[in-house]
Amino acid sequence: MSHALTNTAAVTRLEWRRLLVRPLAWVLAALTVAWLAWNFTLMLGSFLSSQIQRAAQPDGPGFIDLVGVPLLGQLAQLAFLVVPLITMSVISGERRNGTLPLLFAAGVPAWHIVLGKYLAVLGWLLLWLLLTLAMPLALLHTTHFDWGKLGAATLGLALMLAALGAAGVACSTFASHPALAAAAALVIALALWSVNLGAQMAGINGGVINWLAMSSHLQPLLRGLVSTTDIVWFVLLIVLALALASRRLAADRERG
Amino acid sequence: MLRLDQLSRRRAGRPAVQNLSLTLPRGQVLGLLGVNGAGKSTTLSMIAGALRPDSGSIQLNGMDFLEQPELARELIGWLPERAPLWPELTVSEHLDAHGHLRGLRGAVLKQARAAIIERLELQPLARRLAGVLSQGQRQRLGLACALLHKPALLVLDEPANALDPVQVAALRSLIREQAAAGTAVILSTHLLTEVTAVCDRVAILHDGTLRHDGPVHSGDHAALERSFFEIAMNSHTQPAHAA
Repeated sequence: MSHALTNTAAVTRLEWRRLLVRPLAWVLAALTVAWLAWNFTLMLGSFLSSQIQRAAQPDGPGFIDLVGVPLLGQLAQLAFLVVPLITMSVISGERRNGTLPLLFAAGVPAWHIVLGKYLAVLGWLLLWLLLTLAMPLALLHTTHFDWGKLGAATLGLALMLAALGAAGVACSTFASHPALAAAAALVIALALWSVNLGAQMAGINGGVINWLAMSSHLQPLLRGLVSTTDIVWFVLLIVLALALASRRLAADRERG
Repeated sequence: MLRLDQLSRRRAGRPAVQNLSLTLPRGQVLGLLGVNGAGKSTTLSMIAGALRPDSGSIQLNGMDFLEQPELARELIGWLPERAPLWPELTVSEHLDAHGHLRGLRGAVLKQARAAIIERLELQPLARRLAGVLSQGQRQRLGLACALLHKPALLVLDEPANALDPVQVAALRSLIREQAAAGTAVILSTHLLTEVTAVCDRVAILHDGTLRHDGPVHSGDHAALERSFFEIAMNSHTQPAHAA
């Protein structure tokens, strides 16, 4: 057990270091946070200008409904592009550098490598979420906060980022080139999001196809509804993606 | 220290190593000699734990390495061919990463890192990114990573590649120093001079099979050359048995 922890921590540390020194992670963080800050300012301006009309409806939507959750919604949209770019080279980059055998030769099992790399990516993604959350939280003392709604939406976003991150790591394990991994992760993320689009257009709500769609599980959380089913869906996706990645990496070691 | 028994591995649809049996005691330097494609790198990758054999066994200190791959963590130091590195990490960060992977931390890691940097004269490169190092410098860094945790078995794949004559002489003295300290060393090369200069024993591989295994006598370069060319030119030579 202690070997498992040490191995995973060593791989996480290595991947985290590689993420921090690569310009891509910094450029993505700077561009997306700037974009979100600009949108936050626009939404805040709109919220402030409609304050008098909303004063007449005491139970109407508040700051979190009109600014906080839409901001997180924009982060979710950006995640479809950012997560594949962040995860694309975690394993396929190692394969191209020829450094993967170094990890195997240090006695690190495949699943420790996958888990270690996933945790590093997850750390970066959660930091990105935290930076975005800091914008509405900066107004903590100036307006009323619906903590329940913000908490549920944050949980939803964290689960979504964790799931997309796991899918990205899996794609990177299967792809021979980082660009292929990014493309595959983008396609999978979009497919997971919109798998029920056809069914909804045909007026079918519910059923397996709707259960499969990520949007069916994220939307309730963004509305403030936390249900075990939605959380389990995300956890299953994470476990499945990491298990596939570990299996593939172990097969790589066998194949040589 | 190391015992290979009937080790076999296929690569790209053809047998790369077949029924290879070898032993290597502590403090001995074994040279693995062979032409390109003879199976040297495949053999060393299996010994280092980066590649699983299709059949056969590898024992380290009497323990089954294939059953306990985590033995590699402390016991083996490996310098693969062309020294693969993470281009975005500095020399110093490489040593830290390898130290963490081998279970070193804190003061122990710091001490080991300082010692190996000094021994391999890497001080001027310590803060330089691996991606901008010359091939010779990469090779020295790879060697430093392999030696950092003081392994009991050192596996070196073409270690003299891209080194200048001064560095080659330094490498030879380092290998002898490691052997004198009790480390078992196995190095692959296609240079006969390398074997006669540094090895106690030589094993010649051809077409994935062991064709010769015997001691190296100083000044016996001509005899070794004759054996090597006989094996390389005549691929029907009978496989040799382990020493």
